[in-house]
Amino acid sequence: MAGLELKNIQKTYGKVEVIKGVDLDIEDGEFVVFVGPSGCGKSTLLRMIAGLEDITGGELYIGDKLCNDVEPRDRSIAMVFQSYALYPHMTVYDNVGFGLKLAKTPKDVRDQKIREAARILKMEHLLDRKPGQLSGGQRQRVAIGRAIVRQPEVFLFDEPLSNLDAALRVDTRMEIAKLHADLGATMIYVTHDQVEAMTLADKIVVLDAGVVQQVGSPIELYQRPQNRFVAGFIGSPKMNFVEVAVEAIGPDAITVGSKDVASLRVPAATAGISVGDTLTLGIRPHDLSPANTGAIVGRVAIVERLGNETIVNIELASGTAWLAVLDGDQALRIGESLALAAEPAKAILFDAAGKALLPTPA
Amino acid sequence: MTAAAAPALKMQRRSLYPGWFYLPAAVVYSVLFLAPTFASLYFSLTRWTLFDATFIGFDNFAQFFREPFLIQGLVNTVIYAVVTSGLKVVIGMALAVMLTSQIMARGYLRSVIFFPVLVSTIGVGMTFTVLMHPTQGMINQALALFGIAGPGWLVDPKLALFSVALVDVWKGVGLATVIYIAGLVAIPKDYYEAARIDGATRLQNFIYVTLPLSRPATATVITLSFIGGLRTFDLIWAMTKGGPGFASDTVASVIYKQYQAGFYGLSTAGNVVLFILIAVLVVPLTMFLNRKQGHE
Amino acid sequence: MRSRGSIIGGVAAIAATFVVFVIPFLFIILMAFKDKQQSALRDFSWPNGFHLWDNLYEVVKTRNWMMITAFINSSLITVVSVTLLIVLAAMVGFVLARRKTRWNGLIEFLILAGLMIPPAVVPTIWLLQGLKLFGTLHGMILIQVAYNLPFSIILYRAFIATIPRELDEAAVIDGARPLDVFFRIILPLLWPVTVTNIVVQSVGIFNDFTNPLYYLPGNQNATVQLTLYNFQSQFSTAYNLLFTNIMLITIPPLIVFMFFNRQIVAGMTAGAVKG
Ligand SMILES: Nc1ncnc2c1ncn2[C@@H]1O[C@H](COP(=O)(O)OP(=O)(O)OP(=O)(O)O)[C@@H](O)[C@H]1O
Ligand SMILES: [Mg+2]
Repeated sequence: MAGLELKNIQKTYGKVEVIKGVDLDIEDGEFVVFVGPSGCGKSTLLRMIAGLEDITGGELYIGDKLCNDVEPRDRSIAMVFQSYALYPHMTVYDNVGFGLKLAKTPKDVRDQKIREAARILKMEHLLDRKPGQLSGGQRQRVAIGRAIVRQPEVFLFDEPLSNLDAALRVDTRMEIAKLHADLGATMIYVTHDQVEAMTLADKIVVLDAGVVQQVGSPIELYQRPQNRFVAGFIGSPKMNFVEVAVEAIGPDAITVGSKDVASLRVPAATAGISVGDTLTLGIRPHDLSPANTGAIVGRVAIVERLGNETIVNIELASGTAWLAVLDGDQALRIGESLALAAEPAKAILFDAAGKALLPTPA
Repeated sequence: MTAAAAPALKMQRRSLYPGWFYLPAAVVYSVLFLAPTFASLYFSLTRWTLFDATFIGFDNFAQFFREPFLIQGLVNTVIYAVVTSGLKVVIGMALAVMLTSQIMARGYLRSVIFFPVLVSTIGVGMTFTVLMHPTQGMINQALALFGIAGPGWLVDPKLALFSVALVDVWKGVGLATVIYIAGLVAIPKDYYEAARIDGATRLQNFIYVTLPLSRPATATVITLSFIGGLRTFDLIWAMTKGGPGFASDTVASVIYKQYQAGFYGLSTAGNVVLFILIAVLVVPLTMFLNRKQGHE
Repeated sequence: MRSRGSIIGGVAAIAATFVVFVIPFLFIILMAFKDKQQSALRDFSWPNGFHLWDNLYEVVKTRNWMMITAFINSSLITVVSVTLLIVLAAMVGFVLARRKTRWNGLIEFLILAGLMIPPAVVPTIWLLQGLKLFGTLHGMILIQVAYNLPFSIILYRAFIATIPRELDEAAVIDGARPLDVFFRIILPLLWPVTVTNIVVQSVGIFNDFTNPLYYLPGNQNATVQLTLYNFQSQFSTAYNLLFTNIMLITIPPLIVFMFFNRQIVAGMTAGAVKG
């Protein structure tokens, strides 16, 4: 079994820098998810780990072995592709067994391993079919089967569920989680689906424009995002932001306000902040609740009543649009004025550079 | 495992798509096609016996543009290419429109029209030489039944080249037809339906929908048959050997004749002339045919 | 329901194509059944008596069984050069479609040039003589490969571009080396276009007259197209034998046509559209 270590990994295509120095430690047996907006370099990073792309700079260790120049077949990895990439001219049996055949595994051992993989994935009845005769979900299983039969130390998944319909996606997601629990192998998983990331990951890596923004457990990223990008990227619906001015600086807290927000005392790191500075206040839609004396006042623009909760679009005095997710059913009229209270402990302040002024944890 | 070694000695891993896959093809192609082509540029400037070559500058080319029969070969080549490709476009298009309509016995028609494409050119040439005999040929005998005195297809110097061109069309129009069929089938039905709603007649349908939208096919047919026409040798050789006199000689047959006569430098100059002719005519032609269109 | 007009149109089309395209072939067949005297009339008449077997025998044994040699030579040239073409063109098409380098432009230019430029005949002969390949079957085979490579490459490249690259990558992850990827993944998937290539190129090479005329002189090297000249002399042509010969060499393309009609048409149109 093996962990991974990425040291200042870089990738450039011609003059374009796509991955700008990524440092990352992945423990043996960990489930790591790469998330980030489209084009940020998730696939590129994964493919460098797989050995499908050359590494322009930096060092990649799998286990203790420097793998920059190691062929994919010698990296003890397996990969599941978004399009599954099953060999159309081979049966499921041969698809799953192709890697073993190339490794010159004896026929009986091979057969036993293929059948074992088929058993784990409950696809024994599909072994004689060609990929063309399978449904999307079945192809997905075969692709996973092809990965597990080689008993790799690291599994790589590039958006493996994005071609499945919603229901199947939930099932397969759970199966992958179970597979991880059963095999105990290291898994690296690329997605841009929040729910997949939050539910599967031991550790999430948020990437933007080829730079790691933050690495941490799902809850850590949600509760203590280190910058505005991560705060906005993790959590759905997105965190609300508004510019505020510093009114007072107390011990371990900053009081901020603006024409949108009446004075709010937010726990925060205060180093380097002075009264009058402009900061950005971030509050998640779920952390707002209606209150007559609330610090935030806006005009109701759109109301979506879902029964168990109500999503409200409000327009603040400055014109900034915010979202609030309110408990239960709230009969609000469009155009009416609404006052919302925010839980100060859950609000986050960001400095001008976008860095979060997180309070030191208790 | 120190970090020092790795970045300095960046060894490129072997590509999945090995460059040496080009090698066998490149060797065969370069040695047997490219090298002679380049060599021809030199040898066309020489008096050449295969054993030694005397540099004579542009004399061979001068001769090409001085001797009337050589000039005629040049003119014939262009006429032949224009006539054959023009006829193939018109007839091929007409046949393709017919074969994509609801006509009966489509399979039979398509096979019958296409089959000559696959038959030996020499066989076809010899057959038609017999059929086109001025007195004993079947064509003129058939015409005589209708009281028409058929022409001397291959013996009349004014007609010989066109007769060969007709046979070329007979043999090659099947290919033009299938190319057009592929092009016509690819035109979305919506266009015709929209035109029908606008009240277009069949003719208007053809002029405003079929014709413009089958332009890629037309470009292909013209380019292909034009190049083919410029290079034609075997059919002419099988039917007239360039005769009567030099009436149906083309550059390709001149090349062969000069080769047979041992004028290797002149023959090679013919090659270069043909090469230049193709480049000068075909490159602008394809650029014109494939120019960006407003629609699509 | 077909309208009356379209029935008349259909019948007219069938009749016209019959006269133009079928009658010449019927003429060939009828001539092959006639004896020398009747065939000399060169008319469209029913044979007096059945002389096909005699004619066939005569054609085959003429000039010391030249027909047999010619069929063997032609088949050999066709089979070997098509085999080479398939392998070489698939390799080039594969790398050309997959690997984008600054050489791609040049390579594609050379391919187009190969489709357009007429081969320089005498310099080629001179070169073949230097390589001791002039007048040999090997030489002829290599010439056919060189001249027909561009067309095959274009067919392959277009097809390979439709095979997802992830398939190659999946194979690499599975431990495939470059040759495994090509031979075990790509080549099997190319089967349809390979059939097209085989059929189109075989017909072309089998029917080729010009290149053997230049590069393969000598009776022991005759190819089937050259046998046609056995019965044509300036003074007396044996028309029955000539047309028996024409019929004989039309049979291989006919067989190919009957079995692979679809592939031929697909290949010729696809290759043409790309070219
Ligand atoms: N071969 C290439 N040449 C040049 N640029 C490339 C190449 N491959 C990828 N890129 C660029 O690298 C960047 C990262 O691409 P990558 O595929 O890793 O993004 P991604 O995060 O996986 O996005 P997505 O979520 O859309 O899959 C993109 O901006 C892309 O345009
Ligand atoms: Mg991606």
